[in-house]
Amino acid sequence: MKIRIDKAACVGNARCWAVSEELFPLDDDGYIDIEEFEVPAGKEDLARRGARACPERVIQVIED
Amino acid sequence: MTEAATASEPAPIPGHIPESVVYDFDMFRDPAYLADPHKRVIDLLENAPPVFWTPRNGGHWMLVSHAANFEAARDCEDFSSEVLPYKEMEALLDQLADETGRVPRAYPINLDPPLHGIYRKPLQGVFSPRTINTMQEQIRAMACDLLDAVAGKGGCEFMSAVAEPLPVKVFLRMLGMPEDKYPEYRALVRAHLDAQALPGAEGALQRLQKVAQAMRDTIEERRDERRDDIISMLWGVEIDGRATTQEDLENYGVLLFIAGLDTVMQGIGLGVRHLAENPALQQRLRDDPSLISKATEELLRRYSFTVPPRRVARDMEFQGVQMKAGERAMLFLPGADLDPREFENPTEVNLEREGAHIAFNAGPHRCLGSHLARVELNILYEELLTRLPQFRLDPDKPPSFNCGHVVGVEQLHLVWGD
Ligand code: HEM
Ligand code: SF4
Repeated sequence: MKIRIDKAACVGNARCWAVSEELFPLDDDGYIDIEEFEVPAGKEDLARRGARACPERVIQVIED
Repeated sequence: MTEAATASEPAPIPGHIPESVVYDFDMFRDPAYLADPHKRVIDLLENAPPVFWTPRNGGHWMLVSHAANFEAARDCEDFSSEVLPYKEMEALLDQLADETGRVPRAYPINLDPPLHGIYRKPLQGVFSPRTINTMQEQIRAMACDLLDAVAGKGGCEFMSAVAEPLPVKVFLRMLGMPEDKYPEYRALVRAHLDAQALPGAEGALQRLQKVAQAMRDTIEERRDERRDDIISMLWGVEIDGRATTQEDLENYGVLLFIAGLDTVMQGIGLGVRHLAENPALQQRLRDDPSLISKATEELLRRYSFTVPPRRVARDMEFQGVQMKAGERAMLFLPGADLDPREFENPTEVNLEREGAHIAFNAGPHRCLGSHLARVELNILYEELLTRLPQFRLDPDKPPSFNCGHVVGVEQLHLVWGD
């Protein structure tokens, strides 16, 4: 499973980060600091929840 | 209150607006709305068109559905945050300055991209989750003081005892203003609140000038001697590559004043009113305080309470209606977050609910202070449920509300005990 984030559309409210600081790191200004990543085994649920938490809907889950 | 005293004169319906999208709703004075705001919001969702035009208060659009709000909030080109186009507004304010002195600007809330981003960026780090988290213990101490002062009294009027003072104290502390400014700021907040509940902008500029005036000395002091506070931080940031000036600092101070005080206060008021009416929820949160942050989120959704205004920037079709350049449109976020097309059983406070509300709006203007607001609300609920016994509404003094661009609680009389 993969996560892809439309970084330019992030408005920096860290709802993803509130779900998982590890999967969704922020830059110093509080914007999302990652664009695409392979979800580690066992973290799929967390990744999905992080994506659903984004008010901007810029986090896309790509299921295998 | 009589109907006649509360209704504003209706404006004539413009020719391009069909009868089918006209609905009579006065967002400042509708009696049912004032009696119990979110009950009327649900009624609007059931009975008014998802995007409607009301002839009240000069005539304007109301965007009620989640879909309409979400789209418009992210479309700053069509839905401008500038009351007048930037250059016209600046010219007007400069002209006013000759008569009344400089008028502070609440940048970036009233700017469109790309200027908006230029003024927003310096604030981003100041309000990031990391910075705000370092404030937690100070905020907790302030909340505890206010709650302990009423805990032994058997009840209180919660707005004046806790909900209003807390954000003002947090604001002064964060900005690094002296404590003795507290009474002056409480009075300014009060004047701001009273004005919020009225249409039109009478006295608005003078009030902003007073807010700026009250922080001028501290701003000057921090320029020469930095401390660990927001005013000092703002002296250290750059706006588009240039150093900040006294004027910039006053602008930012005014922005934070109008965005961060009555909002937190109303969030607290609406949330605590729900808790007072729902002893079972109080008990559940007391039994398992780890649920409080979920309750904070769900109460923000259930009682979303801000109504940001926009100016339609060009003639266009929007979600099936014709809008014309210069018309005003309200992002009715209380409707968006109670929209059954978006949230299943929207009136239910469901701590297991997933998905994102837009109480802080969406798009480029999305609330910069949301982390701070969440921390304040969370801490307040935590300490409230620890320090006060079970509480409920005073049956002899029902709550009263105010409406406008911020919807909230005017008076909230609570009594302890079940
Ligand atoms: C529960 C409390 C709060 C709510 C519901 C809230 C809601 C909002 C909303 C809906 C907007 C968007 C306005 C628009 O689109 O025109 C906004 C913007 C803003 N808020 Fe908040 N707010 C809250 C607390 C705060 C606090 C505590 C602060 C900071 C001290 C703050 C600072 C700001 C700023 C600076 C903006 C302008 C952002 C921009 O235009 O880019 N807010 N807020
Ligand atoms: S939740 Fe969405 S908008 Fe907020 S920081 Fe994460 S990606 Fe950005």
